[in-house]
Amino acid sequence: MKPATSGRVTRRGVVVGGGALAATAFGAGGHRARAAVAEPISVVINQSPWFDSFRQTVELYEKQTGNKVDLDVNPFAGSLEKQRNSVRAAKGQYDLLVMNSGWFAELYFGGFVEAITDIDPSFKLDPDVYTLGDTIWFDPVKKVMTPAGKLMSIPISPLIPLLYYRGDLYKGAGLSVAETFAELEANAGKLNHPPGVYGIVQRGARGTASVSFDFYPYLYGFGGGIFKDQAAGDYTVTLNSETGRTALDYYLRLAKQAGHPKTASLDQADVIQNMVTGKAAHIMMVIAAWSQMDDPNKSAVVDKVEFAPPPHAPGLPTAPGLGHWLGGVSRNVPDGRKRAAVEFLRWFQGKDAQLANVKAGGIPINAAVYRDPIAEEHRYRWMKPLAAALPHAINIYQFPQASEVTAILDLGLNRAVAGEITVADALNSMSEQIYGVMGKYDYKTGKLPPLR
Amino acid sequence: MTVVVSPSADAASFKRARRTGNARRRCHHGDDVVWRWAIFSPALLLMLALSVLPLANLVFTSFYDVTWAQGQAIWTPRGFANYAALPGDALLRAGLVNTLIFAAGAVAGQMLMGFVLALLCSRVTRGQVFYRTLFILPILIPGIVVGAIWKLMFNYDFGLLNQAIGLLGFAAQNWLGTQQTALASVILVDIWHWTPFCFLLFLAGIESLPQDIYEAAEIDGASLWQELRYVTLPLMLPTIMVTFAFRLMVAFKVFDEVYLLTGGGPGTATEVLSFTIYQRFFTENRLGYGAAMSVMVIFLVSILLVTGLSVRRRAAVVA
Repeated sequence: MKPATSGRVTRRGVVVGGGALAATAFGAGGHRARAAVAEPISVVINQSPWFDSFRQTVELYEKQTGNKVDLDVNPFAGSLEKQRNSVRAAKGQYDLLVMNSGWFAELYFGGFVEAITDIDPSFKLDPDVYTLGDTIWFDPVKKVMTPAGKLMSIPISPLIPLLYYRGDLYKGAGLSVAETFAELEANAGKLNHPPGVYGIVQRGARGTASVSFDFYPYLYGFGGGIFKDQAAGDYTVTLNSETGRTALDYYLRLAKQAGHPKTASLDQADVIQNMVTGKAAHIMMVIAAWSQMDDPNKSAVVDKVEFAPPPHAPGLPTAPGLGHWLGGVSRNVPDGRKRAAVEFLRWFQGKDAQLANVKAGGIPINAAVYRDPIAEEHRYRWMKPLAAALPHAINIYQFPQASEVTAILDLGLNRAVAGEITVADALNSMSEQIYGVMGKYDYKTGKLPPLR
Repeated sequence: MTVVVSPSADAASFKRARRTGNARRRCHHGDDVVWRWAIFSPALLLMLALSVLPLANLVFTSFYDVTWAQGQAIWTPRGFANYAALPGDALLRAGLVNTLIFAAGAVAGQMLMGFVLALLCSRVTRGQVFYRTLFILPILIPGIVVGAIWKLMFNYDFGLLNQAIGLLGFAAQNWLGTQQTALASVILVDIWHWTPFCFLLFLAGIESLPQDIYEAAEIDGASLWQELRYVTLPLMLPTIMVTFAFRLMVAFKVFDEVYLLTGGGPGTATEVLSFTIYQRFFTENRLGYGAAMSVMVIFLVSILLVTGLSVRRRAAVVA
């Protein structure tokens, strides 16, 4: 990485971080990376909890290959704006775009990302890489994400929510891990002793995919959904179905009977804070927060938090919503830098790089790492539940106007959680608005009769 | 602006010619008009480039929908459709109402507190520098830090505010999380942040008031209240009106406090216009509609600006 000024990461800790990572990577895998010498590349990325692990992995790449990577680190919203500004210009500033699940479709549909296999036809996707709801592919003609399309990106962080629960409290109460929603409700009720410990703490605040992201595992876990069949291009709004009502009823009941009294104002940081301070028996949280649970400088519950796939209704699979990050190559940069970005992705997707990534605190994108003996270690006890849940992860949005729908959901759900409107009113009003959005952009859409 | 007069024309004849209209004819037919425009045009072009052009671009964009395909922007004419959609936008309506409440509440609080503090500070004889420094401290703090300070203060579980009222025997409040208190809490933060602005202007105004009038009032046996009511307030009116206009305009554009503290929630309890524009324009990437919304807000702020300037002119006449 290049030395940098404000907002950029300096090359530091190469000896301590990169060296240690190199040693662990070689020790575990024994494979040398095979990246070719390439031009320096610039990566625009967000400052997420997993960023430090990515930085250390990049340092390892630089050390192993001699190639240079410049990281431009930004807040979530800032990263999106920088990417938009760069890709819309005649010449892009960033070669590799680290795109969130909330906006990668905007960049795919807009024609801003160049297919990896167009840059390098010899590029082979590692068969163990998670394809995350097929979001790494895109058919620019049919405008759908399908393996039949082109390879557009490589996952950078396969984030989905998992159920975090207090293993020590479970043991004390003689509970078994909640697999279904009924079990979760029962367990949360038993462990609910406010104000000392809340049975579950939910992320009910309005934000950019805040309460909506928290609600997806419930909605899809009950068998519901926002649209009828996105993959088939059917955007009939099904949010206000009876299943949707069951899911939202459950979500609110959980908050009321075993949740935090101020759920409507809790954002992601608040939820994590409740867990690490020992005030939450359960949270449904994106897996990137795992390292905070065992950090003695941040957590009062070190080694006490366990992980499980999000619960679901009987007979249905777990259904976490994708909140992942993808790395795509910008269309408007010189060919040499495009190839350099592809070289980095080729290296990054491999097991060795991902093993180093996980040791640095990251979430591996390669299934081979989850089969590695490292997954048996107590420190990495989240890996097996994550591996079990990842194949069921759902890509919530497959169209570029997703942010409009997310804004509608966050507002409507927040109002329902705050008790401003009833479940039926919330679902009906959100559905009506989403129907309006989809109609405005000429998608094939429809709507269900309003719930009573 | 400097008016350059041709060396051949003496001042007296120029004035006469101007009165009779000769100057206009001379300027139109002589070289001086070319010279005048030559020196005036760079400033004019700069002003157009910096202020009018971006505004014109915003207005232009507001009549289109902008989307992207194949890496290119596609501009689809929408006529007045973006403007027509504004009244139906529930978020915008909530934002407008909340912005008005916010501006009224925050500015009234800041004006009142600023005036009282300025009055008190002007009467302090010892330690005035200390008090001034203390009172202006919040305005020196960056907005992001203000957000962090008050996010911690309002925290339900360990916030200083809840701990304080807990000592008095009251139950903890969810200041930023309920419909009833969220907007009031944000207003409180804005008052805390911007009262020093009013304080500084009022203090400067009070200290510049002529002392002989106060001496005369004292000789006439005026009480402190009468002195305030019949001397200070009338003399301070121009300063008060200007401060009010400035603060109202800035309060109307509030964004950072809402963004940092509540994100517009719970529900739409703290939705304000600037935040709605941010959502529509940046988050949702609806450039045309966001531009139409921006034009509407600029129009509203312009009304405030014109009102403020006219008040200022009137206040100057009174002074």
